[in-house]
Amino acid sequence: MSMSRRFFLKSSSALAALSFIPNSVKAFYQDVKEKFFVKKQMIPIQLEINKKQYSLTVDSRATLLDVLREELNLTGSKKGCDHGQCGACTVHINGEQALSCLTLAAMAQGKAITTIEGLADGDNLHPMQEAFIENDGFQCGYCTSGQIMSAVACVNEGHTGSVEEIKEYMSGNLCRCGAYNGITEAIQQVAK
Amino acid sequence: MSYFFDSKNTEQMPKGRVEGIAKVTGKAKYSAEYDIPDVTYGVMVGSTIASGRILKMQIEEAMKAPGVIDILSHENKPYVSGFSGMKEMPDNRFGLPIFYTDKVYYNDQPIAMVVAETIEDAMFAASLVKAEYEEAIPETDFAKKAKEVSLKETENDRGSVGAWENAPYKVDQEYTIATEVHNPMEMHATIAQWKPNDKLVLYDKNQGVNRVQSVISSLFDIPTDNIHVISEFVGGGFGSGLRVWPHTIAAVMAAQQVKRPVKVMLTRPQMFTMVGYRPESWQRVKLGADKDGKFLGVIHQAKNISSKIQGFSDGITRVTRKIYGFKNVKTEEAIVDLNVPMPTWNRGPGDTTGCFGVESAIDELCHELKLDPVDVRLKNIAPYEMETGLPWSTNYLNECLEKGAELIGWKNRNPVPGSQKEGDYKIGYGVAVGMWGSGRSYTGASIDMQKDGVITVRTAMTDIGTGTGTGMQNVAHTVTGIPKSKIKIELGNSDFPKAPSQGGSRGMASVSSAVYAASLALKRKVAGYAWPDKDANTLNIDDISLSDKGITYKDSFLPYADIFGKNNLNDIKVEEFAGPGEERKKYGFCSSAAHFYKVKVHEKTGKIKMDRMVIVADAGRIINPKAAANQVIGAGAGGIGMGLLEEQLIDFKTGRLIGNDLAGYHFAVNADVPLIEVSFIGKPDPNINPSGAKGLGEVGIIGAAPAIANAVFNATGKRVRDIPITVERFFNA
Ligand code: FES
Ligand code: FES
Repeated sequence: MSMSRRFFLKSSSALAALSFIPNSVKAFYQDVKEKFFVKKQMIPIQLEINKKQYSLTVDSRATLLDVLREELNLTGSKKGCDHGQCGACTVHINGEQALSCLTLAAMAQGKAITTIEGLADGDNLHPMQEAFIENDGFQCGYCTSGQIMSAVACVNEGHTGSVEEIKEYMSGNLCRCGAYNGITEAIQQVAK
Repeated sequence: MSYFFDSKNTEQMPKGRVEGIAKVTGKAKYSAEYDIPDVTYGVMVGSTIASGRILKMQIEEAMKAPGVIDILSHENKPYVSGFSGMKEMPDNRFGLPIFYTDKVYYNDQPIAMVVAETIEDAMFAASLVKAEYEEAIPETDFAKKAKEVSLKETENDRGSVGAWENAPYKVDQEYTIATEVHNPMEMHATIAQWKPNDKLVLYDKNQGVNRVQSVISSLFDIPTDNIHVISEFVGGGFGSGLRVWPHTIAAVMAAQQVKRPVKVMLTRPQMFTMVGYRPESWQRVKLGADKDGKFLGVIHQAKNISSKIQGFSDGITRVTRKIYGFKNVKTEEAIVDLNVPMPTWNRGPGDTTGCFGVESAIDELCHELKLDPVDVRLKNIAPYEMETGLPWSTNYLNECLEKGAELIGWKNRNPVPGSQKEGDYKIGYGVAVGMWGSGRSYTGASIDMQKDGVITVRTAMTDIGTGTGTGMQNVAHTVTGIPKSKIKIELGNSDFPKAPSQGGSRGMASVSSAVYAASLALKRKVAGYAWPDKDANTLNIDDISLSDKGITYKDSFLPYADIFGKNNLNDIKVEEFAGPGEERKKYGFCSSAAHFYKVKVHEKTGKIKMDRMVIVADAGRIINPKAAANQVIGAGAGGIGMGLLEEQLIDFKTGRLIGNDLAGYHFAVNADVPLIEVSFIGKPDPNINPSGAKGLGEVGIIGAAPAIANAVFNATGKRVRDIPITVERFFNA
């Protein structure tokens, strides 16, 4: 079991602060909160990320992407829109492409999550990672994690019949740098 | 800690970029990704009106939301010396004086920042922040107001308009381009962390760390050396990172106020309003020629949208004074200030816009004259730098045109519009060219050699995806002889030797000179330690070479272990600066490109597909061929956006943008872009700098949009003068 260091610090300091407030005030505040505010709920969850088990307590509103980036310091998955429009946050859930910004962390329990950090085998890069380097399938690199996760899915699902088919499949992953030649060629190379 | 160079995997490096492993494994750290203990989250809140005044902030409800620490606004902010003395807006050099004005100049102007314990808390609370306004009627309609604004000469006329008024052939047309938004994939972000003794650390997304340093220093009145800016990985910029925007300043203010580090990342919709865009524009081009297609004169007029906060002129007519050998030129511009967010430089600023007008007009002229557009351009290329009269150092635009024509098969093009078909599609070919003034700026680089012969090359310059780091490694390797696997690169950090911002295609031309100078200095310094009896400064530098093991001078070799040992050294350090010199007084410098495109236009639906794109560029020596080609490919993709897709609309009544996210605003996706065919002339420029590299980032997009429009005309006979060429505009043309 592993736990986010930062989460631990945060929650322990919050608990410490709470203990100074008199009980009556706390109860009153609770009442007001129940009535007027959308309730923030902290919930315990278990996630399996890159073959590792994590027990966390997260905000019920937290997306998988924010939990990866902000709680677990797994910042390889990128936020390019937070609304399912760009593909930068693409991960694999149970082996299939998924947008982690559109997935609540709580929904990903009991499933095998793979992020870009889990793609390589130790220091040995995944063939798709090597192909991206070799074909210069990126410039700034910000879309790259998502591109590679989708590229792996593209090959696994067999959408590599032609340049057009690859380009169509990969069109949910935006690259503002426009490194589309290299992305397409990397996939062609791995598909061979 | 530097993430740029992963020395564990050096065997990968010969295949690609220095920072390749960091980028494909997700280990690269972009500005919002540093793990800072005790960090808080800031979320920007924008105004909901486009013009008027804030009467009162309504933050009570938001303050009660769980996790909220503070809410900054003009009613609650720390002292900022650069803003506090400021009188009325506009035109202060920092742009919006964030939280130091109650005036609202545009919709979604940042008026508050919520700071909370978690990102969820901050986002939720931000949704609860409201303000009470006194509302005025905003001015937001560019086309309408542009008519009322009068033009001013940008520079003195060259020659005279009278000289060509009776030209036998003339074109006189108007062209417009919609607002285009940079939208780098990484949304702008800053982590601001104050340290004891007025020290500040900023992890910030920008294109120039020294620029951020100096702006924050003058705003907050602290010495530049107290500010440490880290921008090691920058997820794209295209110009949006050349200024210091309000959210960065807000993060610094908030961190001061809550006494904890603050992280802010803009939302995608905020990327449309808070970090600039290429302004909507209008142009009129009047062009005269004789019957052989020799240009006699041009009048180029342009207006661009600007914000009431601060005037911004895009410099649209500049390119016209340079690219062709016009003896008679008149250029006039105006800015049209409205209640809209601030525009800024966007890839190939001004010239990209100006070239759409001029290169379209030339195509119109060629059609009228029944002359070949390639021949006409070849005939009119500027024989020297027209403004200064200086000879070109190098200008191979003619070769770009010839090579491009060859590669696309220009001779198969039928000049009669609408005459070629493939299946349901009409096909057409178009050409256009672009030019960008090249140069270099004063830039520093240092090299640090360790006992094992590994060197680290450092500069403050950022690598925004341009391949700067890899180019630095190439230069250091070529000059010193040390193998690439032993050359580490660190950059994008204000602790390293000062450098200009990565922009205006000056990055490689500038930093390569500095690394060149530092590499030579290293050779001499190591030689000096190796053979103290020789005067290292007088040795022929070409006789000295370094390897991973030691130094060679003619027939003598000394291993590093001996050199470090006998001199009792821990490392050998050099730092050098290089900048433009006398060459600027002797020559004109430019990069140029020719675009040859083939389009397919579906007859019934009006769908336009880019079938082939050939781009040939003259950018001097290409230091890093893969990354250079990639730059041009990306610029071509940007050109497709400009020509066919990208258009940010505004609701005139509210001043609110329409569909400002990545679902509403379309730039080219993979399927929109064919495999772009790039080639380079590749001849080094002997005068610009020691490496002969002229700069490349801009020229790839300058001329792209008109090449598309010209190809559409060739395919269909429809001349579309307003871009992007959406289906609607295509059918209305
Ligand atoms: S961040 Fe998830 S799709 Fe853009
Ligand atoms: S590499 Fe920069 S967005 Fe794709």
